[in-house]
Amino acid sequence: MQQDRVHVRLLIIAGVAFLWMGAVFGRLTYLQLYRHSEYLSRALRQQQRTFEITPERGAIYDRNGQPLAMSIPVDSAFAVPSEIVDENLAARLLSGVINKPQQEIEARLESSRSFAWIARKLPPEKADAINKLNLKGVYLQKENQRFYPKHDLAAHVLGFVDVDEKGLIGIERELDSQIRGKSERIVVMADAKQRWFDGGEAQRERGANVVLTLDEKIQYTAERELAAAIAKTHASAGTVIVMNPNTGDILALANWPKFNPNKAGDAPSENWMNRAVSAIYEPGSTFKLITLAAALDQGITRPDEVFDCENGSVVIFGHRIHDHKPYGLLNVAGILANSSDVGAIKIALRLGSPKFYDYIRAFGFGSKTGVELPYESRGQLAHVEDWEPIAIGSISMGQEVGVTPIQLVSAVSAIANGGLLYKPRVISELRRGDKALPAEGLLAEQEPKRVIHPETAATLRRLMEGVILHGTGPLAHLDGWTSAGKTGTAQKIDPTTGRYSRTQYIASFTGFAPINNPAVTILVSLDSPVGLHEGGEVAAPVFKRIAEQVLAYLDVPRDVPLNPKLIETAYMKRASEDASALEDSSAVDFSSQPDAPPTASQMTNVAGREKPASMKPVLTVAVDQGGDIEVPDFSGKTMRDVADIVLRLGLEPVLVGSNLATEQSPAAGAKVRRGAKITVQFGTPLEKKSKTRPGIRN
Amino acid sequence: MKGKRKRAVTAEFHTVKRIDNSRLVRNIEPAKMRNLWRTVAMGSLVAAFFMLYIFQHFRCIDLSFQLEDLKGQQTKAAALNSELKLEIAGLRDPMRIDVIARRRLGLTEPLPTNVQDYEAPDGAEEAAVHYVRPNRVP
Repeated sequence: MQQDRVHVRLLIIAGVAFLWMGAVFGRLTYLQLYRHSEYLSRALRQQQRTFEITPERGAIYDRNGQPLAMSIPVDSAFAVPSEIVDENLAARLLSGVINKPQQEIEARLESSRSFAWIARKLPPEKADAINKLNLKGVYLQKENQRFYPKHDLAAHVLGFVDVDEKGLIGIERELDSQIRGKSERIVVMADAKQRWFDGGEAQRERGANVVLTLDEKIQYTAERELAAAIAKTHASAGTVIVMNPNTGDILALANWPKFNPNKAGDAPSENWMNRAVSAIYEPGSTFKLITLAAALDQGITRPDEVFDCENGSVVIFGHRIHDHKPYGLLNVAGILANSSDVGAIKIALRLGSPKFYDYIRAFGFGSKTGVELPYESRGQLAHVEDWEPIAIGSISMGQEVGVTPIQLVSAVSAIANGGLLYKPRVISELRRGDKALPAEGLLAEQEPKRVIHPETAATLRRLMEGVILHGTGPLAHLDGWTSAGKTGTAQKIDPTTGRYSRTQYIASFTGFAPINNPAVTILVSLDSPVGLHEGGEVAAPVFKRIAEQVLAYLDVPRDVPLNPKLIETAYMKRASEDASALEDSSAVDFSSQPDAPPTASQMTNVAGREKPASMKPVLTVAVDQGGDIEVPDFSGKTMRDVADIVLRLGLEPVLVGSNLATEQSPAAGAKVRRGAKITVQFGTPLEKKSKTRPGIRN
Repeated sequence: MKGKRKRAVTAEFHTVKRIDNSRLVRNIEPAKMRNLWRTVAMGSLVAAFFMLYIFQHFRCIDLSFQLEDLKGQQTKAAALNSELKLEIAGLRDPMRIDVIARRRLGLTEPLPTNVQDYEAPDGAEEAAVHYVRPNRVP
């Protein structure tokens, strides 16, 4: 009896336990089978954070390894709206920090439950302020931001990127896929306090670094001289290209108007246009080089053959074409030196349209050069079968044909190097770490194409030298180096009348130096200069200034003796012109680095990497601030007087030459500190007499 | 009908019964002892493994936190490095140097006649390397 009772109790307990276990098992089954996905997603949402890691965009360097574009990580703020308790409060607090309307932030928070950007690519102080708010559901994430430390230097070549670091123009666009690298997602576990642990390692493939053929110093020289020419001529636009004719490497490519890629949005989109590769213009007389190259290469004329230029006008196929100046008998050298249209037309007529067309095509006109820059134009060249009878006359003097500056400089480089047409290139190589990547596709090396015989090129070089020595381009004469070139003054088409304008011109000069072993080919083109408008007047001096600086920088040995008198004359106005060239930069406050984030050295001061209390601009470089001694004007003073004055002021004289003081450095009025060296050049002062400008014509 | 019946009183005797267990000898069976120790050992082993698992699990989490901290420091250092490189690049801006040279220092371009070409004697370039700052950009 007693045992039965015990059994009953055990059975009851077992039954209860079984029911309890059954209930637990049932609940588990329900949770695991029916609610599994829901709870799993809730758990993952609480414990995991998934990030898309975008690898750092590759940097862009010049040929000497100087960085022109680079990316640095900055903070972006995002929210997980489902985690935010009071969206209104959060929006109000964030609005005060990032200076955005509260409504805009609220709208962003309401747009998604899982993710919403609050503000991207924040300055460090704002990111810190958001961090200090300690808002639940608001986080910071590192993103890379592109910076161009040289500001507007080579902006048209570099291009710029959008907020997602996607290249929009320039190299940034052309090589976007290589520079960008591959992004990857990583999952990070977070604990209850939202501290991260167990972060996965993303196998990030960093973007490739790009090494350009540009030299930043030559680029700066080209941009500065172009800016000075624009300021002087009031031209609406301009282009300068400096190329190595022996390789096709572009050493500088400058355009005006320019823009700062750090703030590309601030400039009108027209400024983004890379005129060197996209702008088509009628080359004018510079195209006579192609006419003569074809004729000389075909052997249908000689440099000393004389043509009758018919006193400045010729009738072809019922059209009368006037020369800019009446010429009588001119030999081929004279036709090029004086830029006779009539002479060029007669040579082209003898050559014939088909042959002429073949040479034009061979020099690369009418097709893209293949330079690694986006939006390259192929120019405008009608097929020879579509030419009107008058076309050969027009094209021979550079009308009815549209070229790009890059096409023209490549063609002139072919004449300079002995007849080989190289594909122009701005990219030297792609590197990942220390390894150079194989040159493929666009970057693949191409064999140069022979377009004229070496003898023809040598003859043409001599003829082009004549343009500078006794032709339309004397202002392109270099001090210390031989040079050759061709001026061009092309009338623009007036869009209102559809006819050639009598007031709008494109003045250009293209040439190379030294003649026997050319180191650089330079093209200068100025669009619609005001006042003086001929290539020999406004573009040739720019060629001279750039060529002399670049040849000196490249240590190209001088091949003609210097004439000190000529140099002194030429350099009399140099100081004031240099000042005007830098006028545009007068507003630039380099100490504050307005485009860049607060400098790292500011952020890492001695007091333990604390930010400075105020973000006022501070000097970032220790430079000699100068002194309080004003340098007097020594011009016309004797050596003894100069020495007395300099020593009395506590300065150190460096006296060069004899007779009276003609030049000095630093310039009069400059402030120097005690003990500074004052260099004074002595010589015979130049007589002030009225000088007549040499006759300059296109 | 039910009547109250008186229960008969029974006498209880307390008798001391002496039991001598001295003759009983605890018989230790070696097999059972082996089983016992084996069980204890197994149990200890399981417990040790369990403890080790727990330890390494929490240690792993702890190290993960440390690793994330170090990664954070590495990222900060890399970012600082990038910022410094950017700053150096900005300081080497040719326009900036040109403006400082011309405006603040009063420097001007030398005349071509002031620049003298010279032929470097043998070994001059090698010797010059020793005087060039190692971080100087060519």
